[in-house]
Amino acid sequence: MLLVEADGKSLLARHGIRVPAAALVRQAEGFCPEGPGPWVVKAQVPVGGRGKAGGIAFCRDAEAVTEALRRLLGGTLRGHPVTMCLVEQAVAGAEEHYLSLLVDPVSYGVRIAWTRAGGIEVEKAGEIASRLAPPEEGAILVAAEELLAEAPPRDRVALREATVSLVRALLRDGLLLAEVNPLFLGPDGAVAGDAKVVLDLNLAETRADLRDLVLARPDAYPDAVRKLEEGFDYVEIDPEGEVGLVTTGAGLSMVVVDEMQAAGLKPLNFCDLRTGQLRGDPARLVRVLGWIAERPQVRVVLVNIFAGITDLGEFGRLLSDALDRTGLRLPVVARLVGNGAAAGRAELERRHPAVAVVDSLPEALTRIAALRAS
Amino acid sequence: MIASLSARTPVLVLGLTGRMGRAHAAHMRRYGTNIVGGTALRADAPAEQDGIPVFADIAAAVAGTGAQAAIAMVPPAGMRAAAEAAFAAGIRLLVTIAEGVPVHDSIAIGRAARAAGATWVGPSTPGLALPGRMKIGFLPDVSLRPGDVALMSKSGTLSYEVGYRMAQRGLGQSLWIGVGGDPVKGVRFADLLPVFLADPATRAIVLVGEVGGAEEEEFAAALAATPSAKPVFAIIAGREAKEGVSMGHAGALTWGEFGTHAAKQARLTAAGVRCCATVEALVEALAAG
Repeated sequence: MLLVEADGKSLLARHGIRVPAAALVRQAEGFCPEGPGPWVVKAQVPVGGRGKAGGIAFCRDAEAVTEALRRLLGGTLRGHPVTMCLVEQAVAGAEEHYLSLLVDPVSYGVRIAWTRAGGIEVEKAGEIASRLAPPEEGAILVAAEELLAEAPPRDRVALREATVSLVRALLRDGLLLAEVNPLFLGPDGAVAGDAKVVLDLNLAETRADLRDLVLARPDAYPDAVRKLEEGFDYVEIDPEGEVGLVTTGAGLSMVVVDEMQAAGLKPLNFCDLRTGQLRGDPARLVRVLGWIAERPQVRVVLVNIFAGITDLGEFGRLLSDALDRTGLRLPVVARLVGNGAAAGRAELERRHPAVAVVDSLPEALTRIAALRAS
Repeated sequence: MIASLSARTPVLVLGLTGRMGRAHAAHMRRYGTNIVGGTALRADAPAEQDGIPVFADIAAAVAGTGAQAAIAMVPPAGMRAAAEAAFAAGIRLLVTIAEGVPVHDSIAIGRAARAAGATWVGPSTPGLALPGRMKIGFLPDVSLRPGDVALMSKSGTLSYEVGYRMAQRGLGQSLWIGVGGDPVKGVRFADLLPVFLADPATRAIVLVGEVGGAEEEEFAAALAATPSAKPVFAIIAGREAKEGVSMGHAGALTWGEFGTHAAKQARLTAAGVRCCATVEALVEALAAG
């Protein structure tokens, strides 16, 4: 998962990267920036290209800061609600560099990239000098030396220090990406102007400090928090969505969302229930149906389960139990395929005859379109 | 190792005495897989379970059975140690099922496999199959049908859906490999291109991809560099994926321009791959071509 800038910076700072003085702000009213300014106001959402999307404002005075906060807070940026902004002292008189470390899955190593031309246009350039190294501190630093041979001698000490910090962050915190762009180089050394950090959520399952970092921000990472706390995936795609999804399997669930969107149906959520982990307990289904029922625009629920191993007879029982417990009033279309599908259908038809059980996904989508229109 | 798989390939189940290990060993055997032994999860395990010899560790199991392939039914936290031990014992093909393996553990497993010259499939995969002959993993029988289409997929369930609808349409698979949904893994799409091109039983190739990572782009580059008479069809899940968030699979993560549906589709299309927007369209295209 991608961390918001403020968390990426605090993680990198623990390994020695310097960051500008900043305040994390949730409300425009009553906030007054410290220091002489100017400031930069940045929406804290886990996306790339925030500058181009209008999520970053350069502010000469305190009034401009308030104005930027008013504009950004409460809005959305590339599908994410903006609940926090970072207000940072602008760094003056520094050169902008780019420095990143990225796990390379082909070589099972780490790619280090550096260039003098930092800033928001760097992704476009696509011509960043880089080196591959095995995933060990010494080897990465040797590769970094080769790369930094191109750097002006006066910058090398600061760039080396920043590199050591990024290497330690990546290796010790098990990251997939540690990117600083821009990395400001001035008379006082290197300062991170931004941070893009991709955390391994698998590692956060067992590393308490990483887990706490995610759990501390339920408003920035609602989906990841839900995953850590519940043990399965439920990602809200569109809070105004009209079709709630109770689905299993990441790829199939994504395609169901894609096909519905293309058909003009508005899915509320992505869901990978992991039916293999239900173990005879409807609790997970009760949770999902509860979240779906909370959203006022939802008109219909689609259940799509392709059972490789899961016993659909048992799933039919669990879904019936969950429907009983939640007292869900929405129409439900259920498509069950695979192991025990007949038993699952029989169970639903006996206990919840209003549930439309269908065989194919196209048929399920046709039914949903009709129910939504009615 | 994938190219030489057959129903005779001797296979071990690591973690045979666990609930999952026992159940899946039985399924695989019924399907035709030559399960020759397994390892115990606990020290007090019996010497045999359901007629399958149980060994204390992988080295003893390989020595006792001559196994070449193994499937690991062990929890994610123990995967790195189990995989390193398997390669050290001489296993040539290892399939690891569990999802949730930390990425830097996967880097270590990948390096161990490469150093041993062995093949690793996983993590987070339902496994692989020679439909009608054998399978290593738990690909559902209802989706497996012998045929001439090689199928590779990042996603378990989406590949089940594709295989199932292929079977309904009278189409089947020559070889089926789930490469898994993690960002760092063993066999990748591009690694399988030469295997599929060299396989006389394969007429066409299906790539079931999803957003995140650069595997589809790597495959496109490999295909563009390899003259091929075999048509390639693809479906990429996650056109509507939310940025910055893992969509169920740890690897299904996009940020900025990285790993997006549009980027993958453009590269695959330019390399001559027919990209389909729906499962229905994919199966129809396969049936027609």
